[in-house]
Amino acid sequence: MTQLKSTCWVLAIYLGLILLANTVKAQGEDEPFRPEAGKFPPLEKAHSYRGELVFVDHANRRGSIRVEGTGKFYRNDPHPFAMLPYGIVRYHGAPADLRDVPLGTVMHVQAFLPPEPKISSVPVLPVNNKDKDAGHYRGTGIFPAENHVQLLEDEPSFCLREGMVWKLKEVELQNNAGKILASREPKAGGDGSFKEEGLTFDAATRIWRGRERIRVADLVAEEAWPASGKKQLGGQAVLLGITWKPAPGDGLSGAFTQFHISDIWLDDESIEYADQFQTETHKSYIRSRWMPAWVDAVEYGKFGRATVTATLFGGMDSSLYKDFRKGVSAQMNGAENTLKHAAGHYGPSHVSSSGKILDITRATGDIPVGSSGLQIQFETDLIIEGVRPGRVVRVRPESWPKMQIPREEYLFENSPEDRFPTPDIFPKY
Amino acid sequence: MTELKSTCWVAAIYIGVALLVSSANAEDKGEPFRPVVGKFPPLEEALSYRGELVFVDHANRRGSIRVQGEGTYFRNAPHPFAMLPYGIVRFHGAPADLRDIPLGTVLHFRAFLPPDPQTSAVPVLPVDSRKKNSGYSGAGIYPAENHILLLEDEPSYCQRTGQAWKLIGVDIKDNAGMIVASRETKADGDGQANEESMTFDAATRIWRGRECLGVEDLIAEGIWPAIGKKTLEGQSVLLGITWKPTPDGVFTRFHISDIWLDKTAMQRAARSQTETHKTFIRGRWMPAWVDAVEYGKFGRATVTATLFGGMDDSLYADFKKDVSAMMNGVENTLKHTGGNYGPAHMASRGSILEVTKADGEPPLGSSGIQIRLETDLIIEGIRPGRVVRIRPANWPQVNLPREEFIGDGSDPEDRFPTPAIFPKY
Repeated sequence: MTQLKSTCWVLAIYLGLILLANTVKAQGEDEPFRPEAGKFPPLEKAHSYRGELVFVDHANRRGSIRVEGTGKFYRNDPHPFAMLPYGIVRYHGAPADLRDVPLGTVMHVQAFLPPEPKISSVPVLPVNNKDKDAGHYRGTGIFPAENHVQLLEDEPSFCLREGMVWKLKEVELQNNAGKILASREPKAGGDGSFKEEGLTFDAATRIWRGRERIRVADLVAEEAWPASGKKQLGGQAVLLGITWKPAPGDGLSGAFTQFHISDIWLDDESIEYADQFQTETHKSYIRSRWMPAWVDAVEYGKFGRATVTATLFGGMDSSLYKDFRKGVSAQMNGAENTLKHAAGHYGPSHVSSSGKILDITRATGDIPVGSSGLQIQFETDLIIEGVRPGRVVRVRPESWPKMQIPREEYLFENSPEDRFPTPDIFPKY
Repeated sequence: MTELKSTCWVAAIYIGVALLVSSANAEDKGEPFRPVVGKFPPLEEALSYRGELVFVDHANRRGSIRVQGEGTYFRNAPHPFAMLPYGIVRFHGAPADLRDIPLGTVLHFRAFLPPDPQTSAVPVLPVDSRKKNSGYSGAGIYPAENHILLLEDEPSYCQRTGQAWKLIGVDIKDNAGMIVASRETKADGDGQANEESMTFDAATRIWRGRECLGVEDLIAEGIWPAIGKKTLEGQSVLLGITWKPTPDGVFTRFHISDIWLDKTAMQRAARSQTETHKTFIRGRWMPAWVDAVEYGKFGRATVTATLFGGMDDSLYADFKKDVSAMMNGVENTLKHTGGNYGPAHMASRGSILEVTKADGEPPLGSSGIQIRLETDLIIEGIRPGRVVRIRPANWPQVNLPREEFIGDGSDPEDRFPTPAIFPKY
């Protein structure tokens, strides 16, 4: 009897352990992916969507986007998003800040769940939100919980990265406005089997040709397009800037989602010009705000001396990275996940750690999006509080100008709301 | 004795009335000017200032600017502003909405105290706020006059006031540098205007006819030197102005984002912006003020309304006698009331009985055009003094995005957005 009891107990414990192990395993498998501090998340784990930029709080690197779902686009409430500290914005095929992107621009988004829901600067939603039907003819997919963005890019940036172009099939116009039938296809080797999309354009649509900025009326005057009626465009390859405008028929005659063409780049030269202007804008921006980076390790010395190893964030123009060279003087300041500088009315230079770049190394192999693959070793004789492993910093090589940044772009007395802005700014519809 | 009493009473009443009158006069003189409902305020009563656009909440027609004061500009915290319902935005010399203006653009403002402080969508400040010193920022950076009648970018301001920038000289290195210029009357600038130094860089756009050039293109053409200084002899241009952080010790220095070298270039920019705004207004309808409502029987009414100003003429031309039209109630933010099914679903329908144009120059904010619309079903939002939006029959019937209309109107915050959105620095 005793032996039977013991056997039963052993069996029960064994079964219990198996169940527990299975539960733990299931939990581990089911646990949705979240980025972690110190690791750049793989882009293939991101949730992709696109939508119209509706609101921007650039100082806190967040905003709202009207996400394209399966229903009527105009009904979709603006959906708050926050850039990850290493999140990249691209506009006109070049690096950008949120402030550079005009409201109304349709953007491609690659996003993750909040890495730390407790300090999310945008609302935290149930993890399966992207699969829920939002009701009211909005369909699914318009409020994804994946609202922390790793890559945000406008249409030409997306096409250039993916090696795609828009092939124009047909234009129909009257009074300098109308509709274009086009499909997004690989630049080379498209077999014409891609889905056609009807996009509107109007007299305000900008058409870029080399250095020229022309209008629909100019194309009509040159007889490239008819003054009224239809014309076949034979798959002319262009890049498009896409926005959204309320259009007749939305919800009335079934035009659930119809986008609008803000810009057409007719040739490579014209988009290269646009890229160049945006690149220069962003270079000057980063030089004054400093290069963001992640602290990988800190080796402490004596009397405040320390050597910091940090990985520079990616997505900048390559000329900016070239300024990080062995032996150059530099400054490093603590920053928040919003990339706001810590402390100060007297500019980031006033409180930052000053020192020298001892070494710079380039990672080999695939560099994850968000990282530059460049790691610097920086030695300072006075390490400051914000420079700790896993924290975000900003670094200025000595060749960059020492600027005073505006009030909304730095923290002052480190109030929690300043450091971790709450989602209260976003209206609830 | 009775006579004395009467005399005393008369004297007392006289003194009392005199005191009352003088006190009323003092109030008239001392009370600061505020716009009142139903009247377009005179522009000359507005406070003028300029600053960089830092934040925009276009759905509620408000935002923040960094106001130029006497001190160190970078220190000036963003200052919230709200557009008056009839307030006008101009960009590139054309009508615009707040959403059309890139963040960072330096704008000129003409502003008033909040007409109704209790429902202000931005913080209400002490009326003498503009005179207060804000430390290193100096005075003038937080004016209580934060309700805007006119907001315009630099080229719009210059064209309205008949001015242009005369370029004195350029100093350049690596496609960036400094331009010295002065804003002067276009026709007879005497060179006595104040010179201002502004930066430019390789991202500065230079517009010439149809072309969009960079600094390096001007260098390649031999117009500007690759390095060093050149006198530009008062070349007349229009400038787009922004602000970028400056090195220590520079109080306020602006940056040139755009240079329009000729009239064609500026006209083309204005044309594009005009077309953008025309489409916008056709989709959102023409804002107006209700002057009077004559009620008939069974919900029938005739509404007299003044169309707001600042739009392209072609939009006003669509308001013609006998055309069908719709009129919907809106808030001071110009947000449509009532619903998910679009403004057309709830609006009063009718016919325009009459269109009259006031003689003389209308006050800024007004088009000077008054319409009379007869409807057989008047809705709640259409009352004297309230703001409405009107759609003539030939404008497209579209549904608006969620942030541009009010839900069921039961949430006061929807109708009267609070200033809570603005951070306190």
